[in-house]
Amino acid sequence: MSNKRSEAIGDLKKIAKEPFLLVSIIVIFYLLIVFVIFPIFQVFKTSLVYEGHFSFQNIKDVLSQPYYIKPLFNSLILGILVATIGTFFGFVFAYAITRTPMKGKGVFRLIATFPMVSPPFVVALACILLFGRAGLLGGWIGNIYGVTGLTIVEVIAYTPTAFLALVGILQAIDPALEEAGSDCGASRLRVFRTIILPLSTPGLVSAWLLVFIQSLADFGNPMILSGNFSVLSVQAYLQITGMYDLPRGATLAIMLLVPTVVAFYLQRYLLSKKSYVTVTGKPTASTIKNLEWYVKLPIYFFCFFFAFVVVLFYGMVVWGSFQKLWGVDSTFTFQNYIQMWNSGKEYIKDSLIIALIVTPITGILSMFIAYITTRKQFIGKNLMEISAMLTFAVPGTVVGIGYILAFNSPSILMPVTLTGSAAIIITLLIFRNLPVGIRNGIAALNQIDPSIEEASIDCGADSGTTFRKITLPMITPALFSSLANSFVRSMTAISAIIFVVSGKWNLITVAILGFVDNSQYAQAAAMSLLLVGIVVIALGVIQLITNTIGKGMNFSNIEK
Amino acid sequence: MNEQFLKISDLTKVFGKQSNAFTAVDHIDLDVKEGELVTLLGPSGCGKTTTLRMIAGFHTPSSGHVYIDGVEMENIPPNKRPTAMVFQNYALFPHMSVKKNISYGLELRKLTKEQVDEQVTKMINTIGLSGLEGRQPRELSGGQQQRVSLARAMILEPKVLLFDEPLSNLDAKLRVSTRLEIRRIQQRAGITSVYVTHDQEEAMTISDRIVIMNKGLIQQVASPSEIYSHPINRFVAGFIGKVNFLDGIVEDIKDDKFVIKTHNRIITAPYWNKKINKDDRVLFVIRPESIIVKDAEKGDKKSLEATILDAVYFGSQMVYDIKLDDGKILSVEIADPQDNVKYSVGSKVSVAFKQKSLHVLPYEERGENE
Repeated sequence: MSNKRSEAIGDLKKIAKEPFLLVSIIVIFYLLIVFVIFPIFQVFKTSLVYEGHFSFQNIKDVLSQPYYIKPLFNSLILGILVATIGTFFGFVFAYAITRTPMKGKGVFRLIATFPMVSPPFVVALACILLFGRAGLLGGWIGNIYGVTGLTIVEVIAYTPTAFLALVGILQAIDPALEEAGSDCGASRLRVFRTIILPLSTPGLVSAWLLVFIQSLADFGNPMILSGNFSVLSVQAYLQITGMYDLPRGATLAIMLLVPTVVAFYLQRYLLSKKSYVTVTGKPTASTIKNLEWYVKLPIYFFCFFFAFVVVLFYGMVVWGSFQKLWGVDSTFTFQNYIQMWNSGKEYIKDSLIIALIVTPITGILSMFIAYITTRKQFIGKNLMEISAMLTFAVPGTVVGIGYILAFNSPSILMPVTLTGSAAIIITLLIFRNLPVGIRNGIAALNQIDPSIEEASIDCGADSGTTFRKITLPMITPALFSSLANSFVRSMTAISAIIFVVSGKWNLITVAILGFVDNSQYAQAAAMSLLLVGIVVIALGVIQLITNTIGKGMNFSNIEK
Repeated sequence: MNEQFLKISDLTKVFGKQSNAFTAVDHIDLDVKEGELVTLLGPSGCGKTTTLRMIAGFHTPSSGHVYIDGVEMENIPPNKRPTAMVFQNYALFPHMSVKKNISYGLELRKLTKEQVDEQVTKMINTIGLSGLEGRQPRELSGGQQQRVSLARAMILEPKVLLFDEPLSNLDAKLRVSTRLEIRRIQQRAGITSVYVTHDQEEAMTISDRIVIMNKGLIQQVASPSEIYSHPINRFVAGFIGKVNFLDGIVEDIKDDKFVIKTHNRIITAPYWNKKINKDDRVLFVIRPESIIVKDAEKGDKKSLEATILDAVYFGSQMVYDIKLDDGKILSVEIADPQDNVKYSVGSKVSVAFKQKSLHVLPYEERGENE
C-alpha cells in the first residue's frame, strides 16, 4: 500500500527532524550489533566453519564422542532435577507466604530470596565446608563432588527465582475464588486441588523453566563441585582455556545455547498467553481462616526445613571465615581476612571500579532503550528490542566465548583489540545487565499514560528533553531498581566474566574461585562475605535514595 | 478574517497493514475560520480523535494535508507546530508543581526568567488558580487539574488550540460549568480551536460549528441550530437529540411545501431539498417536542389516533411513549406539564405535528446506531 510507504517516510522525516533521536538510534543499533549480535554470531561461525568452509563437522564430532555427549545429558538431567525440586520448594514457600497465617513472613521472605544477592558459588563453598572431606558433616551425603552436591547447591541458589515468580502468581489469584470454593462445600484440600493448582499451572511451568534455564547456565557452582559429573558450561570453558580448542568450545556453547533459548521462549510464550489469573489491579488481602493441621504441618515443615538449610549454609561460610584451619584447627582468627585482603585488594578495587562504571551506564541506557522502543516509531524498533533482550536468554558462558572470539583481534566493527582491557569487561557487563533494566523500564512506562509525554512534546520539547525532564523522573523507581540489579550482577558475575578477565583487570569473583581452586576455603569464605557485605550495603544505599527521591513520587492518584 | 486559518484537505489515516487495514479517517476536508471553535462530534471510532492527533502531529497522515495559517504541516514535528493540546486525562507532569507545569513550554523558549514568571502569573490569574501555584497535580481536584492543563496549552499562544475530550473525566455538574468557562476563555482570547467530544450536549453548547463524523467520514458541518433543525441524513438526525422517524411518500411539491402521505394522512412540510422529487420515499424527522397531544375527540383530519403507552413525569416536562393505531411508537415531550393536561397510561389521544419544525429526509434504512 503506497499509503503505508508514505507514512513510513513521514515517520522517518519526523525522526530526521530530531537529530538527537536519530543519532541515538544509530548509536544504539551500532552498539547492539557490536556487543550483542557480533559475539553470538562469532560463536556460530567458529563452530560451523571447518577447514575454511561451512560444515557441521564440529557438531558431528562432538555428538559422536561420549566425552562430549555426556556433559549435554548431565546438564539436562541436572537442570530437570533442580527445576523440579526448586519449583516445589518455591511453591510451598509462596503458598505459605500468600495463603497461610505463618508467623515471621518477613524473615522467611528474606531468607528465601537471600541467595539471589550472594555470589552464585557461595553456596557451593558452604557445601564443601559442610559436607566436604574436612566438613562438619563430612561424608553424610557421600561424595559431594557430583550430581548430588550440585543438585543441593543449585536448588538452594535458584529456589528464590521460582519463589518470586510464584508469589506473584498466587497473589493474583483472588481469594474470593477459594472462599467460593469452600462455600460450595469443598474441603481445603479439594479447593487446593481443583482451584489453586489449576490456576497456578501456567505459573508453575514458567517458574520451572526459569530455574531450568538458570541451572543450565550456571557456571560457578559446577566449576567447584562438578567433579566427574561434567556439565556443558564448565566443559566449554575447559575446552577453550585449557585446550585452546575454540571450535569445540564454541560447539559446546551452542549445545548449551539451544535448550536455554528454547526454554526461554517457551516461558515467554506461556506468560504471554492469556492466563486465567484474575488481575484486579489491587492486591486483595486474603481472608485467611484457620487452616487444618494436616495442611499447615507439611507446609510449615518444608518452609522451616528450607530456611534452616539456607541459614546453615551461609552460617557455615561465616563460621569458616573465622577459623584458623577448617576441620583441623578451629581457633578464632582474623587471619583469613588479613590474607584475603593482602592478596585480593587489587581484585576488590578492580571490581568496584568496574561496577561503578557499569552501573550508571546500564541504568540510563536501559531506561532510554525502554523509552524509545515503547514510545517512538521507527524502522527496526522490534529488532532493537529483540537484540537488546537477547543476552537475557543466552548463558554467560556463550557470551564470554563470543566476546573472546569477537574482540581478540581488530575487525571492521571494532577497530581495536579489546581483550585484556577493562573495556571488554565493562561492555560485557553492560550488555548482559541491560535486559533486566529494559524490562523494568518498559513495565514502568506501561503504567504511565503516553499523553503526558505527548503534552511535553506539544509544549515544544524534543524527544531528548522530554526523556530527561519528564520520562526519567517519572520512572525513577524503575531506574533505581535497574541500578541495583546492575550493581549486584556486576559484582557477582562469573560465568561470562571468567573468559575476559586478564592480569591487568581482575574481579573478586574470579579471585574467590582461585582461592577455592587452591583449597584456601577460609580465605574464599572471607572474601565471599566481604562481597556479600558490599552488595548489601550498596543495595541499602540505593534503597535509601529511592525512598528519599520516591517520596511524593506516588503517581497512583493521577487518573489514567 | 482568514476563512481557512486551519485547512484540512483530503486527510486520510489508515491503521494496520493490507489485510486488516482500518480506515480511521477517510479523505476528509474541513476549513476552520480564525477565532472559531469547531467541534468534531461522533460516536467512538468515528475518527475524530485521529483527526485531532493528525493536526497536532502525533499521527502521520496516510495521505492528505493540514495547513495552519497557510503553512503546510507535513514536515513539521509536533514540538515545532503552532498547536497546543488539552488532553483527555489532562496529562499533567506528576512530578512538577502547578507553576512548573504551566511554565514548562515557555522555559524551552529563549525567554528571561522574569518574562516567564510574568506570563505564568498572568495566566494563573486568568485561569483562576492563584494560591495553588506550588501544589502538586495530585493535590488538585479534577476541575483544577483540567484548568492547569488548559493554562499549560494557552500560555504558548498557539495558533490552534486542540481539545481532546477535555471534560470526560469530570462529574456531570462540573462538566457544565467548565465547558462554559472554556468557551468564555476561548472567545476572549479569540483563539482558533478544534474540540473533540462524543457528548452532543457539550458540542451544542460550546461550538460555533459542529462537524458530525461517522466511520471516518464527515456527515455534516453546520451551526448547532442548523444541525438540530436540518440534519442532512438519518445518522445526523439520530445522533443529535431524540428523534422520531415516520415513513412517507411525496405526493406533490407546491408553494414551497412538500405534500407527503404518511400513516394514511396528508401532511405538509417545508420544502428544502431539491434532490427529493415527487413520488420519492422519504423520512419525516420529528423531534419529540414538535408533537402535539390532544384529547381523542379534539382531533381533526390531519391528526392521528393513538394510545398512551407510557407516561413519565420529569418535573419540567412530561415524556410519553405513544402508540399509533398502526403500531408505530412515538416519543413525545410536553413542556410545562403543570399547564397541560396529563394523560394516564391507556388514554386515547389524538396526535398532531408542529408544521414548521417538520423536516424531510430522503429515505434511509435504520442505521446501526439507532
